[in-house]
Amino acid sequence: MRPTTAPARKKRQWTGQNSNMILGPAMILPAVVALALFQYLPLITAVLNSLQSFSPFDQSSTGWVGLGNYFEIFADPAFRYALLNTFLYIVLMLVMTIPLALALAVLLDRRLPGTTWARNAAIGALAASEAVTALIWNQMYEPSSGLFNAILHAVSLPTQPFLTGDSQALVSIVVMTVWKDVGLPLLIFLAGLQAIPRELHEAAQLDGANDWQIFRKITLPQLRPSLVVALFIMTITATRMFTPILIMTQGGPQGATTNLALYSYLQGFEFQSQGTASASVVCMLAVLGIVTLVQSYVLREKQEK
Amino acid sequence: MTASSLTLQAEEGVDRTARRAAFLHRGASILLLAVVGAVFAFPILWAAMSSLKSTDDIITGTYPLSWSSFVPLKATLENYVYLFSELNFQRNLLNTLIAACGQVSVAVITSSLAGYAFARLNFPFRDVVFGLLLLTAFVPVEAIIVPLYRIMHWFGLVSTYPALFLPFACNPFGIFLMRQAFRDIPVEMEEAARLDGASPLRIFFSIALPNVRPTLATLVLIQFIWSWNAYLWPLVIMQDPNKQIAQVAIANLKSIPNSPMDGPLFAAATAVTIPLVILSIVLQRYYVRGLVTSGMK
Repeated sequence: MRPTTAPARKKRQWTGQNSNMILGPAMILPAVVALALFQYLPLITAVLNSLQSFSPFDQSSTGWVGLGNYFEIFADPAFRYALLNTFLYIVLMLVMTIPLALALAVLLDRRLPGTTWARNAAIGALAASEAVTALIWNQMYEPSSGLFNAILHAVSLPTQPFLTGDSQALVSIVVMTVWKDVGLPLLIFLAGLQAIPRELHEAAQLDGANDWQIFRKITLPQLRPSLVVALFIMTITATRMFTPILIMTQGGPQGATTNLALYSYLQGFEFQSQGTASASVVCMLAVLGIVTLVQSYVLREKQEK
Repeated sequence: MTASSLTLQAEEGVDRTARRAAFLHRGASILLLAVVGAVFAFPILWAAMSSLKSTDDIITGTYPLSWSSFVPLKATLENYVYLFSELNFQRNLLNTLIAACGQVSVAVITSSLAGYAFARLNFPFRDVVFGLLLLTAFVPVEAIIVPLYRIMHWFGLVSTYPALFLPFACNPFGIFLMRQAFRDIPVEMEEAARLDGASPLRIFFSIALPNVRPTLATLVLIQFIWSWNAYLWPLVIMQDPNKQIAQVAIANLKSIPNSPMDGPLFAAATAVTIPLVILSIVLQRYYVRGLVTSGMK
């Protein structure tokens, strides 16, 4: 299809060929050592630890227990809640961020006055730290002195137990995280929109298509690669949500906001239980893997149609 | 001629209502943009405004809601004075800066070396290693934090500065970013140098690296911001309060029993966030490119 790139690629490989069974491996050595020591070693350790039991006193292994840790955590209602909450965070985050980011990207792409202001503010929120923004929102969510309840009070609405209510706490954390992170898919979509050739829109307009038709039939299909990237990134972001939960609710009330990331942290560092901590981490990675696989399956299906 | 001017006239009538609708639409969109920007900016501005109030004013100021809830009418710098004299917050900022500089240095070294090798050199198992590398983008630090802690403990690095950044020396996003940049250099440039007898290492330093300066800037900025904002890992690995980074120190202000620290907390949040937000906006050309290419915050 692209005859010009094929020889260039061949040439490129040939350029590399003259070298260097030594230089290539030497150049990747620092990265590979770090990769092995700090990524794969802990990952493999986690998997192996999930199959062992540990002495509560000196943290040494007391032998293999097969799937014992997994049976133990699945028997723990707190773990089942954490598993459910992990899915809940993923679904809520995707449902809230992706359409919102898409709508904002279309709005910002029109380059009206005010675009720079909105874009800069979104970038600022993205660059601010999770810990600090969680602390700020935590204060705004405060039941008695917080801003949100003061506003509700001022317009005579009932005040809300944002972070202490069973049904509100998880949503409150998601809202804060959406505010913080929606800029990322927004910027990805914006880059995607700007890559769409203007002629496509103009041609459709000449054919009498309205804005919605143009969006459905031209913009959305053209944005597909950006959509895939944004979905994957937001799925990872939602699965690993941790800092806002630890800062705002510590997983409470009664585990209502605990996800697998927090559960394994508590098992590992609060309860010093390496076996169950590792087993829940493996479950968390399995959730991430399954959700990602389902997404790529669904999205591939669409392409074939 | 006449026929076309007639249709033009007819179109003008339709045009006027259409133009009015477009004008209203435009106005509404601009208003919406202003609101969107305000929503994104508000919490950070709220923290900055509150940092100029006394803790008592912050706690009592929202009831009833009035102008003084938002704007510090009795502006005071007491929170900042307390922060930098009593709490020695500059020490935490310095620690954050040390960790960020360490993170940037190791990431630039590993990412540019490996990025170039993956882009331009041929060696056995290159693609396998690259695949294994990209796979770790799916493994968040939250998932490996317990065994990672044991490994750092085994190395005797708990509560040391290198422990803050060494585990993140190999960054899949950074390597991916650099690999893309090196691939975009016209291969003829390196070819010419090679024919002149330059060694591959020489080509890397004197041709490849200078040509990816903008991407290096992106890498430095992204890694700096990422390290500046890190919370969970420093919380776990740094148990020496004198070497603790700013983010953890701020979060600790939240849970001091019986003495609300809202004022100093907002002051610290402002001191640590505003410079970074300004940096990201001023350098957004580099920042956004990194975000969009690698999807890393």
